[in-house]
Amino acid sequence: MPKIFGFILVLMTALPAYAIDGTELLKQIDRNLNPESYESYRKLINIEPGGRKKEYTLFTVKKGLDKVAALFLSPASEKGRSTLRLGDNMWLYIPNVGKPIRITSLQSVVGGVFNNSDILQLDYAAEYHVEKVEEKGSEYILHLKAKTRTVAYDRIRLRADKNKKIPTKIECLTEKNLLIKTLYFKEAKDFGEEIIRPSVIETDSPLYKGYKSIMIYAKIKKRSFRDEVFTLTFMPNIESLR
Amino acid sequence: MTEDRGRGSGSGKHQMTVFFSFLWVLCLVFCIQPHVFAEEYTFDISEIEKKPYYLGGYAEVKPVLFWLDKNASLYKMRFYNRDEGSKVEEYDAELQLEGAIEKGISRLYIVTNTQYRDSYLGEDQKTILYEGYLSLKPSVSLTIDLGKKTLKWGKGYAWNPSAFIDRPKDPDDPELSREGFTVASADYIKSFKGPLKTLSFTPVVIPVYNHISTGFGEVNKLNFALKLYLLFYDTDIDFIFLTGGSKTTRYGMDFSRNITTNFEIHGEFAFINDYQKNYIDRDGNNFRKEYNAKSYLLGIRYLTELDTTYIIEYYHDGTGFTSDEMKDYFEFINKGYNSYVSTGGDALLKTALNVTEENYGRINPMRDYLYMRISQKEPFDILYFTPSITGILNIDDGSFSLSPELLYTGITNLELRLKTAFIAGERESEYGEKQNDCRAELRIRYYF
Repeated sequence: MPKIFGFILVLMTALPAYAIDGTELLKQIDRNLNPESYESYRKLINIEPGGRKKEYTLFTVKKGLDKVAALFLSPASEKGRSTLRLGDNMWLYIPNVGKPIRITSLQSVVGGVFNNSDILQLDYAAEYHVEKVEEKGSEYILHLKAKTRTVAYDRIRLRADKNKKIPTKIECLTEKNLLIKTLYFKEAKDFGEEIIRPSVIETDSPLYKGYKSIMIYAKIKKRSFRDEVFTLTFMPNIESLR
Repeated sequence: MTEDRGRGSGSGKHQMTVFFSFLWVLCLVFCIQPHVFAEEYTFDISEIEKKPYYLGGYAEVKPVLFWLDKNASLYKMRFYNRDEGSKVEEYDAELQLEGAIEKGISRLYIVTNTQYRDSYLGEDQKTILYEGYLSLKPSVSLTIDLGKKTLKWGKGYAWNPSAFIDRPKDPDDPELSREGFTVASADYIKSFKGPLKTLSFTPVVIPVYNHISTGFGEVNKLNFALKLYLLFYDTDIDFIFLTGGSKTTRYGMDFSRNITTNFEIHGEFAFINDYQKNYIDRDGNNFRKEYNAKSYLLGIRYLTELDTTYIIEYYHDGTGFTSDEMKDYFEFINKGYNSYVSTGGDALLKTALNVTEENYGRINPMRDYLYMRISQKEPFDILYFTPSITGILNIDDGSFSLSPELLYTGITNLELRLKTAFIAGERESEYGEKQNDCRAELRIRYYF
């Protein structure tokens, strides 16, 4: 009888470990990466195999699950360009050239390994279902599947630190599990307002052998915006938010 | 004539020397750049501090070589009294300056464009204020602009029939900056939940008087335009209206929508009330026809898995000339040229030049066109390298232009573009009667 009782007790304590709510975990990871609404300053660096590099500085604003806009601050050739994402819709505005044009998530406004979807990243939980969660040592491995065909990657394998619930590595895959690119999350930094997250994201891709792209965060701050900020008409005016 | 050619040739050699010296300096500067700046990447917060002013722009040089078609009507009209050989050189330089000052809710923004050209016609230089306006932003929902501004309406890539307040694009280079018009405009934006996500309302007043918005239309008129934009069921939709007297009243609409992440469709429609078309017959007699003109454009943008982008547009311009009207125009030029050869009198050719500048000389003067641009991003893993080819077909007469180009943007703030254009067509067709058979140019643009 004590053995049976002990077995039930073990089962009761063990059960929560197997009943990880993947969706809830992914939402926590999203929130630990960024506040739901924020402004940030980032630098993107593309590094060629020969060591030559090209840098871009961006001011980014995000609201809720599906609204994000970014303004190029440098280099001079890109200054004033802005990109807007509303769910699956993406636009690029180039000053002096024309009205905002629609762009696609798989293109890249900066060249290199980061595509538009990486640059205008929404919450992972907004775009992906959690198919499976594994535990391996000090990490969770989340197997994610795109909610719709319009999402940039069909599948994602996300490794996250168990304690901090912050990604350490993300592998972006095709429907048939072929690797498109890998994102490495590095150098955790305290940005204030309880935002502690990796400040450097490196990426490489078997499709771009020898090339590397890096995203460095200098500033992330909680901030609320009106919906009107995330409109085509406002795209030429994003600078006024700084 | 001989003096012109002699001066042009000497000047050309000098320009060529200066140009190649400039190219060498650029190569030296940028080839050593990776070694000089090979330190670890850093991001200092001081890099993102906002300043109350901004000054930037670009400088470019562009040598161009034209191969002439001596049998073409437009060659005869422009070169009847000069012999420039089978090809002519041209050296273009451009400086575009942009500046802004911001204080509180107001921002003053200025763009000037200075162009220098050394061609067979001699040297020419002009500076134009492209934009210069005061922008007031009392809230994120409302912006008021006063001054000279480019509005950039419409969704087409090569043409914008519904852009009633913009100067026409050059479909051969649609991304070039353009001069604006003097306007007072406001943008009011409202966002919603549900299928209608955004609504914005843009009223515009366009005063057209002597020295204000010249080129827009009839002077001493106050014009009024409206644009209503909707993001409705993930589709961008604009409704456009213009009235006031400088141009006849016109109505337009456009749309753009992503069918999938890599496939976009767009279109424009314009209805122009009482459009007045001036044209000539083969004897040079002037005629005027008044009718309601309808123009429309339908286009797609498609990105393949291999990063090839296709832009295809069909354009019908209801204000354009028919094939017969263009044939009459070309025949009038030929008649003028024959008269010059037999009598030495160039009065008819001068008349032809006048009607060309006023009317027939617009970039695509006829009715039905097909545009196709194929660009391949970073082939063979060469980062920042984009080769592309652009074709414009005049459906009415079968003539066309084909422009391959190579673009490299791998050096920060430097853009190198090598572009050629081949044009072909029967006699009395639009491209067949252009003064050139072929053109090659190298554009070096540096942003600062």
